[in-house]
Amino acid sequence: MFTMGIDIGSSSSKVVILEDGVNIIAGEVIQIGTGSTGPKRVLDDALSKAGLKLQDMARIIATGYGRASVKEAHKQISEISCQAKGVFFLVPSAKIIIDIGGQDVKTIKLDSKGSVKQFFMNDKCAAGTGRFLDVMSRVLEVNLDEMEEYDSRSTEPASISSTCTVFAESEVISQLSNGVAKENIIAGVHQSVASKACGLAYRCGVEEDIVMCGGVAKDLGVVRAISKQLKKTVIVAPNPQITAALGAAIFAFEEVINK
Amino acid sequence: MTDTTNMLAKELLGFYQEKLYEEAREAKKEGKLVCWSASVAPSEFCVAMDIAMIYPETHAAGIGARKGALDMLEVADEKGYNLDTCSYARVNLGYMELLKEEALTGKTPEKLEKTPAARIPLPDLLITCNNICNTLLKWYENLAVELNIPLIIIDVPFNHTMPIPLYAKEYIAEQFKDAITQLEEICGKKFDYDKFLKVQEQTQRSVAQWNRVAALSSHKPSPLNCFDLFNYMALIVCARSKDYAEITFKKFADELDENLKNGIFAFKGNEQKRVTWEGIAVWPHLGHTFKGLKNLGNIMTGSAYPGLWNLSYTPGDMNSMAEAYTRIYINTCLDNKVKVLGDVISGGKCDGVVYHQNRSCKLMSFLNVETADMLQKENGLPYVSFDGDQTDPRNFAPAQFDTRVQALDEMMKQNKEGVPNE
Amino acid sequence: MSRIENIISELSSISTNPKKAMEDYKKETGKGSVGVMPYYAPEEIIHAAGFLPVGIWGGQTAITKARAYLPPFACSIMQSVMEMQLEGVYDDLEAVLFPVPCDTLKCLSQKWKGTSPVIVFTHPQNRKLEAANKFLAEEYRLVREKLEKVLNVQITDEALNKSIEIYNENRKVMREFIDIAAKYPNIIDPIKRHAIIKARYFMEKSKHTAMVKELNSELASSPVEAFTGKKVVLTGIMAEPNEVLEILKENGFAVVADDLAQESRQFRNDVPLGTDPLYRLAKWWQEFDGCSLATDAKKSRGPMLIDMVKASKADAVVVCMMKFCDPEEFDYPIYYRQFEEAGIKSLFIEIDLETTSFEQTKTRVQSFSEML
Repeated sequence: MFTMGIDIGSSSSKVVILEDGVNIIAGEVIQIGTGSTGPKRVLDDALSKAGLKLQDMARIIATGYGRASVKEAHKQISEISCQAKGVFFLVPSAKIIIDIGGQDVKTIKLDSKGSVKQFFMNDKCAAGTGRFLDVMSRVLEVNLDEMEEYDSRSTEPASISSTCTVFAESEVISQLSNGVAKENIIAGVHQSVASKACGLAYRCGVEEDIVMCGGVAKDLGVVRAISKQLKKTVIVAPNPQITAALGAAIFAFEEVINK
Repeated sequence: MTDTTNMLAKELLGFYQEKLYEEAREAKKEGKLVCWSASVAPSEFCVAMDIAMIYPETHAAGIGARKGALDMLEVADEKGYNLDTCSYARVNLGYMELLKEEALTGKTPEKLEKTPAARIPLPDLLITCNNICNTLLKWYENLAVELNIPLIIIDVPFNHTMPIPLYAKEYIAEQFKDAITQLEEICGKKFDYDKFLKVQEQTQRSVAQWNRVAALSSHKPSPLNCFDLFNYMALIVCARSKDYAEITFKKFADELDENLKNGIFAFKGNEQKRVTWEGIAVWPHLGHTFKGLKNLGNIMTGSAYPGLWNLSYTPGDMNSMAEAYTRIYINTCLDNKVKVLGDVISGGKCDGVVYHQNRSCKLMSFLNVETADMLQKENGLPYVSFDGDQTDPRNFAPAQFDTRVQALDEMMKQNKEGVPNE
Repeated sequence: MSRIENIISELSSISTNPKKAMEDYKKETGKGSVGVMPYYAPEEIIHAAGFLPVGIWGGQTAITKARAYLPPFACSIMQSVMEMQLEGVYDDLEAVLFPVPCDTLKCLSQKWKGTSPVIVFTHPQNRKLEAANKFLAEEYRLVREKLEKVLNVQITDEALNKSIEIYNENRKVMREFIDIAAKYPNIIDPIKRHAIIKARYFMEKSKHTAMVKELNSELASSPVEAFTGKKVVLTGIMAEPNEVLEILKENGFAVVADDLAQESRQFRNDVPLGTDPLYRLAKWWQEFDGCSLATDAKKSRGPMLIDMVKASKADAVVVCMMKFCDPEEFDYPIYYRQFEEAGIKSLFIEIDLETTSFEQTKTRVQSFSEML
């Protein structure tokens, strides 16, 4: 039996196709999100990769910011519950999940059965989100996927303390014009993102294992900075961008079984 | 005992600040009472009862100026304090949490260990007063509950109509009586009214010397840069009811008088333009704001903020003391506020005004537009406003400050060269 | 339409159209309206003058003109009130009564941009002292004097005591409504509940009382149906705009009690008995507890909310955090810790009257319902 999870975020679209609730047949990501052609394209990609048709899906569940716009879905579940489900499936020892996406930072506390005990989200502000990194990457003229490498060469992280993206942008520009190395600025940017996430994590009560997911988890510079601030090991979920879609597919499977 | 007779004012300032903290730590060790106090809450009652005083706002500013605010702000953030609330409060509440943790576990948390400011002991009681904001009510409520200790409140109602009516003074004076009763209970001894009168008189002598210093910026060129008052302010806050403040300010005023006589002015070189700074200092970026103005040839000769402690009253008269504590310009209607600030600007013979839009302080920010507008209609002087924060370094952008101040400077220059400002 | 539906629909329509309510009142009585700013002004004085007290709670609006007068970190409700002042929305009011229990209101009281005269007064904050009652009674005496002048009327002690009784009756009926509504969540959903309460701000109180009284008795005689959703207590300044309540409704939440400044905090306590009406009104403030704007060294709000959750058999508390409201923001860490210790779940949502995008609120509320 096949089930599908669709996660339409603010800046990317993800689909997971699951066989019998355990085997991931397809896990596709496209880096454009809700309101774009992304959702349709990623759905087609996943189906063609799995060699399946939409009709083959026993149940489809949508999640993410754009979840309400997914016509193919039988149901919607919030990305908090789906992240918890997906991450717990991959890392059963997870107690705290840190999810940094395009416009949201979330921390989720799980009980030993993987249910959500408490969660926190950022306020309406881009600080500490993927969007913040996008802006910085543009200002610094360094591609997002190169940021980690730059960070690893840093000798003395610059202090990027502004909470406001506009202020932080001007802070970065002035650091650049003062001749601070991009490596150190990027390490500073990573620390700034980490500090926002850690604040929310502390409110959940930090407990191991800590698992990171969401698009920003691919930037190991951020992961290292979080680990350093929490003084704890941070596990990156395998394929961290698709964990919510995976969770949705698992929910779909469970609903079919329990019917 | 250290001989202070030959110390310079600057040395006295450092010496007494440290001494006050040391006295509080000693008091705690000996099992005597320590009180945390709002910066413009009446200090006379506790000092008359020999209670060691700590002023969290000054302490938080010190942490900010020494670049240690972020650690404390993070602790507050973890406890759920919103980033939009007052950063003095957040730094102090963060610090309090760390002290509490230390007291409970016997282990000093790393952030407390490495914080750059003086160590302060946990309080046994609290006193707060809302003459500079209602935030001080909320902040101290939280301290009282988290530490489970008594809180003395002196509520000075917002003066929406000036002059201050008698019934308001009477309400405040009644609270003074109640504070005395509370203190008698907390200390387990009778209130010493004779000593209280002496403390009131001491407070008046300190305030007189403080006012003497502040008045010196009216000279042109000025022997005093009001940025210095931001530093000396620590003692009018923390020691106005002791002779520490009086001795230090007298020394400072004497030194400045001497300088004036000898033609030594605060601005090395030639002071070109004089500005009023409205609002609290940006402690984590004090150097940047100071240099930003200085490099353009500007000196600060006007600031209403240190004037908050112009607490002159008649010792022995509770209504007079009540009035002194409630008439603070930010606790009065807009017309009075504008009048006070207008006097500061003209007293300092200023050429322009810098308004600090302070993310931490709603009370000192939300009337800036109207204040600036009314004052400009009156005096025609240019002004500029910048975004900042008293002690959260993240809410200030040096580049924005520089641009705005430069624009002000150009306007002031234009004015001075005789081109009328519209 | 049933009588219940009739009453609800009438109150809902009043709650969304204060302008019409003011016009109707004028037609009926020949008298105008006086604006009442948050929080906790003695409306009774206006009522005793024969004028219609109208609550000013801002509204859902884009902030454009107000940007010139307020920085972005002013609370959302005052941003919207400022915007509406500049739009001339409040200019038909004969006067505006303006309490200043927080720093933002102190400033706002000094910069009214509409044309109506503003009457400012200060609540004392050392509330448990007798001297505070005396002070506030004196402030109220001046409020009465100023109102008499502006409205050109006499406000007698007798009329004032009568108005206090009318208000107390309304408070009592409202408390009954809150309890009855909690039993009929299928009929009184969060949106209707809010509208019935909000209508108080735009009606002569005895009229509102009569309608709610009838509604209460109609409800009480209806069969109690099973409710499958979750029950929550709301706390904060207000739970607007309606989209927020829609989201709660869509996710199967019923509001069974509240601690909102716009709702139950208004009628939690009666004005106490006595002879001097101004002193009685002042004493109300002394007895009122559990609000971020009324200083309380004991901070009884957390324990009060915990009791409320128990009494109303609620599943959780929803914190409706007014954006940039520092008194509320300072209370949060304390009661949140107390909730955790008591094992009470809570959800934090941000109240922003300007926003038109509710995606984050939806995610939070849906996640919360999945979690409970």
